[in-house]
Amino acid sequence: MHLSINLSNSKFIIMKTLLLAIATIFTFAASAQVKKVSIQATGLTCSMCSNSINKALKSLDFVDKVDANIQNSTFDIYFKPNATVDFDKLKKKVEDAGFFVAAFSATIHFNNIAISNNEHVIINGTTYHFLNVKDQTLNGDETIHIIDKGYVTTKEYKKNASFTTLDCYKTGVAGSCCPKDGLVKGSRIYHVTI
Amino acid sequence: MKKILLILILFSSGKLYAQELFLFTEPASNMAKGNIGARLNNTLMENSTTSSYKYHLIPEVMFGVSRKVMVHTDIFLSDETNKFTSNGASVYAKYRFFSIDGIHSHFRMSAFGRLSFNNIPVTDAAINLYGYNSGYEGGVVATKLINKVALSASTTLSHAMDNDQQKFLYGNENRNAISYTLSVGKLMLPKQYITYKQTNLNLLLEVLGQTNLQTGNSYLDIAPAAQLIVDSKMRFDLGYRYPIVSQLYRQETQGFLIRLEYNFFNVY
Repeated sequence: MHLSINLSNSKFIIMKTLLLAIATIFTFAASAQVKKVSIQATGLTCSMCSNSINKALKSLDFVDKVDANIQNSTFDIYFKPNATVDFDKLKKKVEDAGFFVAAFSATIHFNNIAISNNEHVIINGTTYHFLNVKDQTLNGDETIHIIDKGYVTTKEYKKNASFTTLDCYKTGVAGSCCPKDGLVKGSRIYHVTI
Repeated sequence: MKKILLILILFSSGKLYAQELFLFTEPASNMAKGNIGARLNNTLMENSTTSSYKYHLIPEVMFGVSRKVMVHTDIFLSDETNKFTSNGASVYAKYRFFSIDGIHSHFRMSAFGRLSFNNIPVTDAAINLYGYNSGYEGGVVATKLINKVALSASTTLSHAMDNDQQKFLYGNENRNAISYTLSVGKLMLPKQYITYKQTNLNLLLEVLGQTNLQTGNSYLDIAPAAQLIVDSKMRFDLGYRYPIVSQLYRQETQGFLIRLEYNFFNVY
């Protein structure tokens, strides 16, 4: 009786240590946590229109809280812990509400991510194409702006076309322009700047 | 009359019976996908034959089908037959085919259509598919929003069918009309948006006209209105409509529209 209890205790301690080790590894593996997204929407003035967008964003399962500034048509979105943030789903909610996105920025906590101008980099399973940036290593909280079609005004999208000649800027997905980076053809590429 | 018609057409595209949340017309914008709106529309119109007010109650449900499509369904109830009963129903759909947005601004255009059934006796030469005539209509509406002011214009072509057993009295050649509207609305309060809980006050003015395509007879009405938006999800509208030109015969030309609306978000 006494012996079996001792054995259970050791097993329990080993399990606990193992679980802690696994949890720690996973924490470091999440090397780019999206902390906040700020969206500015166009086409509205009144608060009932703003409320449509507010409620639509809140209905996404990875969204925890939305702070709306009705006066500026901006929405600060905060996420549930360890949830996968899907930028395209956020943009689609604004458009399904009947409006458009004028500006979209994401505040991300980076853990030693090296980026180069006009180059693709895969961070946490998401492919980013950094444009108009200095080559650098991202460490800590950084705010990036998504400049894909539909994430900025039409005018700004056309203006930014000078940042790259690669086709993926026009399509938003990996094409024949990007095989050397090991990207799957047709996979989503977010074009961003800092 | 033909001259006024021409000027108004040059201005706009209009709509028959309905900042841009107008009372007697619908703007080019749609509800969000997955939202449902419920309305109780009440009209009290002076009946020139009986010199009393006639009451219409039109419950309405609106569905945001997609970002570009919206569908409304209505049931018509009234005391036009001296007994308060249901008279018919209607379905309306709107498709937004053009939209350019800016910060606090937009220019949008939509096409819409309505199909109505009604069984009350036909008295008017004017055609009204919102509680009076059976028939169908289609049109185009354009809305411009600049900060706190919205301007909307619409044109509709309508065809009157017989009201079930009650025939359209004015002859087959007179079953068609063109309607045209011009509306302006301004957000008066709040001066500054802080929360969704603030009550909004909008003041609106609409000009609503119709010309019969056969006779060329027309009416032109003015409709001022006030609107409260509460808790960013409920709406109370009060409007009064009266004629300034009344060549095209209607038994009821002036009266009140009182509407209560409640919006449900992300229903489906």
